Amino acid sequence: MSRKALLISPELCIGCRGCQTACKSWNQLSAEKTQNKGTAENPPDLSPNVYNRIRYVEVPSAANPVRWLFVSQRCMHCGDAGCMKICPAPGALYRTKEGAVAFNKEKCIGCRLCIGGCPFNVPRYDAKDKIAKCTLCSDRISAGLAPACAKTCPSGAIRFGDRDAMIDLSKKTGYAKVYGEADLGGLGTLFAFRDAPAVYGMEEKPAIPESVIFWNRILRPLAYWGLGAAVAASLLHYVAVGPKRDEEVKKDE
Amino acid sequence: MSNMIKKADAFEIVNHWTTAISFFLLVVSGFGFLFHIGQVGSVFGGFSQMRVIHNYAGLVFAASLLLSVFSYLGEALIFSGEDVIWLIKGGGYLSKTGKVPPQGKLNAGQKGFYLLLLLAGIVISASGLTIWLMPGIRKWLLLSHLLHNISFDLLLIAVTGHIYLATLANPGTFRIMIYGTVPLEWARKRHAKWVQKMGF
Ligand code: SF4
Ligand code: SF4
Repeated sequence: MSRKALLISPELCIGCRGCQTACKSWNQLSAEKTQNKGTAENPPDLSPNVYNRIRYVEVPSAANPVRWLFVSQRCMHCGDAGCMKICPAPGALYRTKEGAVAFNKEKCIGCRLCIGGCPFNVPRYDAKDKIAKCTLCSDRISAGLAPACAKTCPSGAIRFGDRDAMIDLSKKTGYAKVYGEADLGGLGTLFAFRDAPAVYGMEEKPAIPESVIFWNRILRPLAYWGLGAAVAASLLHYVAVGPKRDEEVKKDE
Repeated sequence: MSNMIKKADAFEIVNHWTTAISFFLLVVSGFGFLFHIGQVGSVFGGFSQMRVIHNYAGLVFAASLLLSVFSYLGEALIFSGEDVIWLIKGGGYLSKTGKVPPQGKLNAGQKGFYLLLLLAGIVISASGLTIWLMPGIRKWLLLSHLLHNISFDLLLIAVTGHIYLATLANPGTFRIMIYGTVPLEWARKRHAKWVQKMGF
């Protein structure tokens, strides 16, 4: 099975937020009361009931005083996923054969460590403290359907297909650099950006926190190597030097 | 028996085993989390329940660690020149003929071990509590996760050494944590300064 991906093109997005509605509808997520912050953007953040949303980014310039960018925000389905790395509960987060990062609430223990592992501030928690986030509609794509958001998008701002094909498509349509092509083992949510990622409110070089990488490479293996070495050193001492048998111990004065 | 000397009181012994049992539970469940060991999860009744047990065992561990301060901290903080020589000579563990300077109630190695246990124990308890009770603040979560794992590795290695030294390596020592007493002559050889202070 080839890896699937979303291709998001903020310049094509008209900000209709059909994707938000389609997502709620398919994933049966209830509506939430929000407050008007003085912008058309709504809801204000991802939540256990908001798996994807459109961020309204205003970048006025002299040439274009009303440049508005509509940037889809959701799980990026990282090829090298910090959330999966740090999660202590097997099966709580898992990779589907299409390359999506999905979750199983039954297996989630609610420790929230994945907040620390995720470079994109994605995981949220429901009332029972279980993880909630975009799954790339893994139940749909495993049946050969497009994710609800991509299916409903009227402008082609969210497209879905084989990851390689999405990268090609983006390059052919003039976006030389695809956000997420190589970072973090390649993202499963790709962006076709015209400008630097910062313009769209995204990090230039997203990365798993260094402490998590250090833990994974050094501290975690050290738990069993350290234990093994301590046991081995004890046995070695027992054989090579031997115990302090009472009759052999001299008065220590 | 008349030729025995009391080295540990009942409180100390009970508290020692409280620390030890909670530590054991924490290590086993900790390995289950670190390496996703399904069998360990099953023994604890699933990973969710294992998390609950891990958290509460952590509370017991932290409480017994704090109580241990009354038994050992005063002694452990006094480091003499003889203690330094004891450490340089590896506590006489490097050869059969090694001679070490006289020691107090705790030898220099035991003092060092206790201070390490106390320090790493406080760090691992505080970071564990932070992950448990302050979920969702990323900065704190990452720092706690790092400190929790560093202190875990340190404790794991140090406690393995402690178990070896208190059992196989020093026949006659283990009984202190059961009966609280040791033969006077045994103590004289290893804790001369203390035996003298006790007036024997
Ligand atoms: S909150 Fe759930 S999904 Fe997140 S790290 Fe903990 S067990 Fe894993
Ligand atoms: S964006 Fe965050 S939650 Fe999604 S796969 Fe990457 S690390 Fe996991």
